[in-house]
Amino acid sequence: MSNPLALEFISRRIVLAMVVSGLFGMLFVFMLIEFDHQTSTEAFCTSCHSMELVAQPYRESAHYNSPSGIRASCGDCHVSEGLIAATLDHIIGARDLYKQIFGPEYDNPVVNLLHMPEASFSTRDWFRERDSATCRKCHTQKIISGRRADTLEIHNEGAEGKTCIDCHYNLVHRKVPDKQVFKRDAWNLMVEQEFGLEPGTAEQIHQGKIPPPAIKQEN
Amino acid sequence: MSAPLRACLALLFLSLLAPPLLAAKVKLDPSHWGLEGGEECVKCHSKTSAGIVLQWRDSAHGKENVNCLDCHQADAAEVDAIEHEGFTIATIVSPKDCGRCHEQEEKQNSSSVHVNAIDLLGRAHPFLAQDLGGQAAADASCAQCHGAKVEVRGDGSLDPATWPNSGIGRINPDGSKGSCSACHGRHSFSKAQARQPEACTVCHQGLDSPDKEVFEASPHGRAYASQKDKMNLDSDSWVAGKDYAASATCVTCHMGAAGKLPSGHDVGLRSAWKLNRPVSEQQHLVLFEDGDKRTLLASEPKPARGAMMPKYDGTEAKVKLLVPADRRRKAMTQVCLECHAKNTIEGFMQQFDSVIELYNAKFGRPAQAIMADLYEQGLLSPAPFDEPLELTYWRLWHDEGVRARHGAAMMSPEHTGWQGMHQLGQNFYGQFLPQVRALGKAAEALIQQHLQDRPEHAWLTQGADTQTPAPEVLGVGNRDAEP
Repeated sequence: MSNPLALEFISRRIVLAMVVSGLFGMLFVFMLIEFDHQTSTEAFCTSCHSMELVAQPYRESAHYNSPSGIRASCGDCHVSEGLIAATLDHIIGARDLYKQIFGPEYDNPVVNLLHMPEASFSTRDWFRERDSATCRKCHTQKIISGRRADTLEIHNEGAEGKTCIDCHYNLVHRKVPDKQVFKRDAWNLMVEQEFGLEPGTAEQIHQGKIPPPAIKQEN
Repeated sequence: MSAPLRACLALLFLSLLAPPLLAAKVKLDPSHWGLEGGEECVKCHSKTSAGIVLQWRDSAHGKENVNCLDCHQADAAEVDAIEHEGFTIATIVSPKDCGRCHEQEEKQNSSSVHVNAIDLLGRAHPFLAQDLGGQAAADASCAQCHGAKVEVRGDGSLDPATWPNSGIGRINPDGSKGSCSACHGRHSFSKAQARQPEACTVCHQGLDSPDKEVFEASPHGRAYASQKDKMNLDSDSWVAGKDYAASATCVTCHMGAAGKLPSGHDVGLRSAWKLNRPVSEQQHLVLFEDGDKRTLLASEPKPARGAMMPKYDGTEAKVKLLVPADRRRKAMTQVCLECHAKNTIEGFMQQFDSVIELYNAKFGRPAQAIMADLYEQGLLSPAPFDEPLELTYWRLWHDEGVRARHGAAMMSPEHTGWQGMHQLGQNFYGQFLPQVRALGKAAEALIQQHLQDRPEHAWLTQGADTQTPAPEVLGVGNRDAEP
């Protein structure tokens, strides 16, 4: 061999291993991309009944039916951009899957609604911590001009020190008050009235002390 | 009652009516208003809802630098508190909120007939809204004047069946009763607006309370229409006879200052008669130890001083004093004196009282008695509005009867006469009595029983010529004379 130096260190086996592991690495990255993509779709998210309940108001919202024809799917808002961040979000999101299987009966509309406020609060915090990064994937704050006078100004000088979610919450899913003014008693009462439950039972269902009533889902 | 005792009671009553005129206009020191965060609200709302900001800027509040947050601030624990752009606020500014500064007005209003408008409605006509109408109409009509009990839903939103609502007897999420904006508007919060009849007639018009129509047809209404610009409506002080004299508005007579009589926010205080009933009664006023008040009809048993008595809301309180109806009349008369001679006022009041008594004796009492007996004898079903006679009776005392009596109370000849007594007569003789007769012999006996001794109805049996002038008097000649 005319170049014995290379051969001394890199045997055929090593080259082969490098090529194979490189291919595997690439495959792994492609798989991650595909995984993140597939697990961000509405179809995937709503494959759990509990998420179907959450998605119903979304399908009535402007983020589902926008005049421009752009539709934001679950992951567009709730999964960060970038492979690493997105994968991390999905790994952390696996908690939800764990709870779905081993936690309270979220598929039951009563249980779902009783637990919704805490989910909303933590989601809003998630947006806030990221400076509403997923909103900004589509919306550029500085050029939001709207149809009314001064919308542009409000989104510039008027929004100093604020992030999208500070003002724009309760846009897509069912309305939940801000954490500061949220009143559990009033929320439970609302759930009781909505599902025709005996007074006082919502709190016990929420704490898991009694089973929720069997409620047939429409979808 | 002896004269000195009467005088003492009158003084006591007037002092109760009359918190000192010179009392501070607002309780709160100016250093407590103009909250810093309020400027943030103005900055954004000048762009998002410029109209209300402009109204506010032109208002007394705006000029005194009382801003959005001063009125809308809320504690997070309050039932209707919401988070809004970083602030904790409430949409509804209740009398309790207004009372932080306007303590005296809030106190007077809180025991007035106005803030009890829901209770009064419920007790008077519980079947009306539901049986003849329906809930959606009740929300959008009855409750818009009488007030709704505003419900806050679990998600923090105000129940759209109960909000928006500016009914004067509104029950607010904070438990307070009433709505200052019913008369004063919201962001313009204008005293001039509240002094104009239009502030009242948004509710006080039409079948149930035809005050708008009656006022407009009255001498006061005529004078107001032609000389509104001389009413000095924007003036800080608004004492009849001193600051204006062109005419009187609703406020002038029912709650305005005149001479030594101070203004007040308890609107029914000067009304001696209860007019919107099948039979009108004089109304006394019960003052409770806790500062609340209620009306006591002349036919109701009088409570002893110190006795417990139910209030409008059903809770009981200790009676402090019973103010007889003529004291209320006296307060009203004091307003008249600013522009009218004493004998003119007495003459007018006598004409007014006589019409009420005529209505009661001729139509109100007999019709009420006949109806009560028909129900008792089972000749009418208990449901209040399912038979023609019941609707006829309702029109009789409510639509026509109320119109005639209001006409007399505010001096509209048209409403006392053609649209009042004349229609009452047409209805009573032409519909009510025939419909009673149609129910059979037992019902006809009731007519005999309740009408035979009444001189007002003597013409029915004795012939018309005993009651009506001879044709010659009317100048048409004696056409029916025998040849």
